[in-house]
Amino acid sequence: MSERETERGSPYAPQTAAETTAMLDAVGAADLESLFDVPESVAFDGEFGIDARSERETKREVARLLRRNADLTEFLGRGHYDHYVPSVVDDLAGRSEFLTSYTQYQPEVAQGFLQALFEYQSMLVELTGLGVANCSMYDDATALGEAATLSQRVRSVSGDRILVPGHLREGKRAVLANYADGPGLSVESYPMDDGAVDVDALADAIDSETAMVYAETPTVRGVVEENLGAIGDLADDHDALFCLGSDPVALSLLERPVDVGADVVVGDAGSLGTGTAYGFGLGMFVTREEYLRQVPGRLVGASEDAADRRAYTLTLQTREQHIRKERATSNICTNQAWVALRTAMHAAWLGPDGLVDLANECVTRPRDLAARLDEVVGLQAPVHDRHHFREFVARTDQPASAVAGDLLDEGYAVSEVGEHLIQVCATETTAEAEDGLVAALSEVAK
Amino acid sequence: MKYDQARWTDDGDDRYEPLLSEKANETVEIEDAALPDDLTRDSLTLPDPAEPELARHYTRLSQMNYGVESGPFPLGSCTMKYNPSFTEDVAARPDAAIHPDRPDATVQGTLALCHRLQDYLGRIGGMDAVTLQPPAGAAGEFTGIEIAKAYHEANDEERREVVIPDSAHGTNFATAAMAGYEVVELPSDDDGRVDTEALAAAVGDDTAALMLTNPNTLGLFERDIEEIADLVHDAGGLLYYDGANLNALLGRARPGDMGFDVMHYNVHKTFATPHGGGGPGAGPVGVREGLARFLPNPHVRERDGNYEYYEPEASIGKVHGFYGNWPVLVKAFAYIARLGDAGLRDASAKAVLNANYLAEQIDYDVPFGPFHHEFVASAGEQDAADAAKRMLDYGVHPPTTKWPEIVDEALMTEPTEGETKRSLDQLAAAFDAVAAEDDETLAAAPSRPAARRIDQVSAARNPRLSWQALDDA
Amino acid sequence: MSFDVPDDLRYLDTHEWVRATDATAEIGISDFAQDELGDVVFVELPDEGAELTAGEDFGVVESIKAVSDVYAPVSGTVTAVNDRLRDEPELLNEDPYGDGWMLEIDLTDESELDDLLSPADYRDQIE
Repeated sequence: MSERETERGSPYAPQTAAETTAMLDAVGAADLESLFDVPESVAFDGEFGIDARSERETKREVARLLRRNADLTEFLGRGHYDHYVPSVVDDLAGRSEFLTSYTQYQPEVAQGFLQALFEYQSMLVELTGLGVANCSMYDDATALGEAATLSQRVRSVSGDRILVPGHLREGKRAVLANYADGPGLSVESYPMDDGAVDVDALADAIDSETAMVYAETPTVRGVVEENLGAIGDLADDHDALFCLGSDPVALSLLERPVDVGADVVVGDAGSLGTGTAYGFGLGMFVTREEYLRQVPGRLVGASEDAADRRAYTLTLQTREQHIRKERATSNICTNQAWVALRTAMHAAWLGPDGLVDLANECVTRPRDLAARLDEVVGLQAPVHDRHHFREFVARTDQPASAVAGDLLDEGYAVSEVGEHLIQVCATETTAEAEDGLVAALSEVAK
Repeated sequence: MKYDQARWTDDGDDRYEPLLSEKANETVEIEDAALPDDLTRDSLTLPDPAEPELARHYTRLSQMNYGVESGPFPLGSCTMKYNPSFTEDVAARPDAAIHPDRPDATVQGTLALCHRLQDYLGRIGGMDAVTLQPPAGAAGEFTGIEIAKAYHEANDEERREVVIPDSAHGTNFATAAMAGYEVVELPSDDDGRVDTEALAAAVGDDTAALMLTNPNTLGLFERDIEEIADLVHDAGGLLYYDGANLNALLGRARPGDMGFDVMHYNVHKTFATPHGGGGPGAGPVGVREGLARFLPNPHVRERDGNYEYYEPEASIGKVHGFYGNWPVLVKAFAYIARLGDAGLRDASAKAVLNANYLAEQIDYDVPFGPFHHEFVASAGEQDAADAAKRMLDYGVHPPTTKWPEIVDEALMTEPTEGETKRSLDQLAAAFDAVAAEDDETLAAAPSRPAARRIDQVSAARNPRLSWQALDDA
Repeated sequence: MSFDVPDDLRYLDTHEWVRATDATAEIGISDFAQDELGDVVFVELPDEGAELTAGEDFGVVESIKAVSDVYAPVSGTVTAVNDRLRDEPELLNEDPYGDGWMLEIDLTDESELDDLLSPADYRDQIE
């Protein structure tokens, strides 16, 4: 299609002028406009003022805009992580049969995607030890929100207090607050002790009005939580749900959630399969089988077809909005299925060996980098005397804003998390940049 | 050794791909970990296929899946239009793959694109301000209803009800309930439009909002929309537009001009971003003047040629942990920028033409009109769900079935602008072939796809939701 | 199509039945109701000891594409629950008046039985 032709209409509406005429004749319409049954008083006869472009021009336009993003080496984490995604994931997930398909309401022609989602659910079941994984929520924050509303629906739990850790990403807490608002839940923080849950303080805070206790491992500061079992016991003693936040890479190495008494596991499963994508994520949601009927979102199950072969289908849909309407477990419809497909592909590409190796590297790399930074004049790292996963907090003698700002000028991004605190995230994708970061910090931190 | 390397052929039973766990499961004992033993799991059992095996597995699975590029996809209410390939390239740019925690000054490109998209969507919907944060249509609804709630609270009003027509999408009801509202279901009149008398009786001091899709689920334009808006506004409520059917109206009518106060856009419908087998989508929300101060935090604005995030003064807070489904938004931006005014107008015109032409060609009765981008046919004496299964044998994706309920055995059909006349003729031939067949043939369908009719009852009575739960695992 | 409407039961217009014996009663859903629902895949019932109030919902029956509340024809205290329905919801389809029974209750007020439909009246309603 020539660039001039795009002025005439949508390049993706393929009817020729002759076909359009023939079709209008067939329906007995004089022209295209007469097909619209819009009262004149609300008809729009203006212009949007958006110029059409050729495909090449559109690409150049986006390139021109995005070129304004600074070229930085990112040591950023705090809930959104960069792991190397192999090309085969892009290649396979990009197949149009996956990418351009719809929700699997006709399972006979969607066996491929259904099986892939079934495999994704199964991987999460293995990683968590819990029996039921749904095939995605939007992101970890909305998954946490859904866990809170689940606690409200579960009969064995009463009360309206949702307890969350003092160290929690602000955006996640804000989303949770919105989900909690409808059912009238209150979100309250409990204190941390040197970056981990202060179990004694939590014991003081929890009571019979607590519907759910939320904890994370690793925390938003990268701390590996050491008292999960005690937190699970506290929740259990008060008939509250224990919701654990984590991610598939961490779960490949850390304690199994089922072993510490977790009732629900949420988090960003997109840490596998997506890489950095400006916060684009994949909400992981896994829970115990006894809460099956209260699970939000779609579930893929195995069944048989008329030839008695194993087949897959969306199931237990009576929980969902299109059937249960205002009594549905959630309003979610469109989810992140394609991201889940990518996550499953990436996990399978790594295999259990690769996952465990990657998770171990997520422990050793920040440990080693923190040790190097601790040698730098003007820095102490890590601030928390704990095990870390992917990231850690360092104390700066200079104001953190000045250190982080000066680092930007050197081409490195770290997070500023306090007046004299910066946070550094290190994964395999930053391996080659660490020397440079140490050198730059040696200049700007002193 | 038993031969188990499945191939997909049309002539035998061998349409099957083993689970990854059946092909290559492996257990790794966790030893000498970088953490103390009491902080680690004991072992991990997961598939471990080599990359060539992995590639074949997913390639084969893709062959057992039907997408827009596989053939016609006239799934009503879903706008399964062609997804331009170039938008994938655009979204995959390395300078789009950045971390959300960078300072504003280092993401001027991303913010500029977002700001431009906000502006485009505002113009298309007739809205004054647009947030890109909601990650899907239902999340957009939640955002919009939370905005309505904040608006009423700011006016020191406590309103407890959201009014929704009985023919609306299920998400509307679920959204209102999630936000803590009671749902007042509004009966439709005889042609599925809003019954204004019933509406007048339903709205009052407790009405927070009316949620409405226009054109409605029968494809009919709500011709009384101004009266409807007046009724809701006079009662002090807000009018919410569900953007699911916006592909019918691009450049012909704008929700803002019709009197809607809040709306969501389904970019995965109207603006051609791929559905990805159920998601990701994006559900930006537009608001009229005066409601921008309630938008989610943060919002993008321009200052002296630079862009920055800010928190709207009475923000409802957040509906996504970060900034929404960014890669999807990039694709939507690229689509809108490519089409421009003329292309967007043409997309709607051809979508409406295609629906009218297809309806004219098929033997099934189409009881309601004049419809726009979609129509609802009746399978008559046939079971619509069975008819749909039979269509699979003709190589086409069937319409949405048995909904809306106002039409008996509904076949809700939305061909989109992406089909040629020849393709629509073929599609009509498939409809007509099925229309002429007997109940036994329909009940036995399908026989061509990778799976025969799947037993939904068995799946639900005996839930097996992971390979660990399979009896034969 | 004709549905089984046993003569020894009383009915509610929302398709529940009651089999009363002195001060106790069995409750279930009718043959017509199970046919309308289609294949039942899940049944949610109250626990033993729960109190039912005539006219109020006490449980849920799910098929693949529909969810229906079940209403109490009479008031009473639940003394037995048909646990077989948990794993064999198909009993509601196969034998709605026998193995598909739902609850046994102690009646609060036997006179409430007089408010229910007779088999003849119920037959009229569903025909």
